[in-house]
Amino acid sequence: MARNTRVFAAIAALSLVVAACGGSSDSSDTTTAGGGALELVKDGALTVCSDAPYEPFEFQAEDGTWTGFDMDIMRKIAESNDLELEVSVQPFDGIWLAPAAGKCDVVASSMTITEERTQAADFTDTYFDAFQSLLVRKADAETYTTLESLKGKTIAVQTGTTGEAYAKANATDSEIQSFDEASAMFLALESNQVDAVLQDYLINKERADKQGTSAVSAKFEETPEEYGFAVEKGNTALLQILNKGIKDLRDSGDYDTIYNKYFIG
Amino acid sequence: MAISKRQRAMYTRYAIYTLSVLAIVVMALLVDWTRLGNAMFKWEIVKKQFPDILTSAAKNTVVFTILGFAGGLSFGLLFALMRLSTIRPYRWLAATYIEIFRGIPLLVTLLALGFGIPIATGWNWPNPYLQGAIPLSLVASAYMAETIRAGIEAVPKGQMEAARSLGMSYPRAMITIIIPQALRIIVPPLTNEFVLLIKDTSLISVLGVTEATKDLARFGRDGVNSSANATPLIVAGLVYLAMTLPLTQLVAYMERRAKAAGK
Repeated sequence: MARNTRVFAAIAALSLVVAACGGSSDSSDTTTAGGGALELVKDGALTVCSDAPYEPFEFQAEDGTWTGFDMDIMRKIAESNDLELEVSVQPFDGIWLAPAAGKCDVVASSMTITEERTQAADFTDTYFDAFQSLLVRKADAETYTTLESLKGKTIAVQTGTTGEAYAKANATDSEIQSFDEASAMFLALESNQVDAVLQDYLINKERADKQGTSAVSAKFEETPEEYGFAVEKGNTALLQILNKGIKDLRDSGDYDTIYNKYFIG
Repeated sequence: MAISKRQRAMYTRYAIYTLSVLAIVVMALLVDWTRLGNAMFKWEIVKKQFPDILTSAAKNTVVFTILGFAGGLSFGLLFALMRLSTIRPYRWLAATYIEIFRGIPLLVTLLALGFGIPIATGWNWPNPYLQGAIPLSLVASAYMAETIRAGIEAVPKGQMEAARSLGMSYPRAMITIIIPQALRIIVPPLTNEFVLLIKDTSLISVLGVTEATKDLARFGRDGVNSSANATPLIVAGLVYLAMTLPLTQLVAYMERRAKAAGK
């Protein structure tokens, strides 16, 4: 008899394993919304992946609340769909793949819509226009005003960003050093390890305004970039909700309120 | 009902074997191999990793590791001797150093020293290899100091006493009698440190990398980004394995030999 009980136990254990594997796919919640079933990573919440802190687009206020331009827009859209805002911090490198990996529903991370990224994720309508720019130490503000002036110097960029692509395409005479996160780039600039930080204008400007030892010396206005939110490829239900949300915010004037809060005055 | 202890042990063993085999079979059946292969092991992407992954990325990892290990071993030996010294301030100094560098995460040490030293002194790192390898070796030396100390303490006291009674000075006895014997004892744990160090070099990229200074892990991550496929990371992992496996095998061989030598 002992033998049979053991075999039975083995089968029982095995069926548990199978059940656990098979069950994982229907544990996510389904809510019906216009244009098909909306599946969310977490019940009752819009989970957002973001490479934070990246002021003034995504950062935590002193009390821990997620704020910033992207976050305010996301919260508004979430609220109008009776959802909570959940934030999952992810490194920027490859962040547009996070929804497909089940980490979140949508990426809101000051992300430019590019050809390459649209092949791996679906983007919303654009919600922001951005420009690349140079942040340098204050003493160099008059010297390094163009990419040509940085010939033979070192430029810091963040891995996987359009800033990196821009530097690689246009600053071929400079040494390009890539960093995992924005904060390390600022430290590298301050410690003389690099001579300039090339990234989106408003992030550089925020840093310069806040800190006072650096200055924005150039803004490349001839190459505007459009930010978009990204969802998993084929997730049209969520894409529609987001696009409607962006449009509603623009129509109601809430978009301008948020814009003015962070970028004007 | 009456089964002996031995029979019971046998049945339990069979049950464990059956379960393990079944678990492997079930996993093999559940995995979508084609999809996995496409996402994580695409042959044409594997080929594209070479030769740069070896000539540049693996080379950088090796350079960081060797610099880190050499620095760690020399400082580690120094601090181990200081910890064993009869002079109290030496012991305190070494103990403080070891506690600090063992207790702070390598990532924090890298950022704090890699950027902090230039900010504090105005002095610049002459090259990115030192900027990464020096913090690495300082942390490694804290761990190695303890390993080396344990090794020296494991050499029988009589060895030192005999050496001293033959008229050797303390340093002389340490260098020619004690440390060589201690080294033999600490080769396995030191190899462990070496393997850990190989993998720790992947953190150095927080200090920023250029095309020429990328380590293996960073090379793999960037490859994932540019090819939109996980293959480069898997290949990088395999290169790490190719580096660590011969090392661990070598040590296993050395240990067998040491055992045969009657120690």
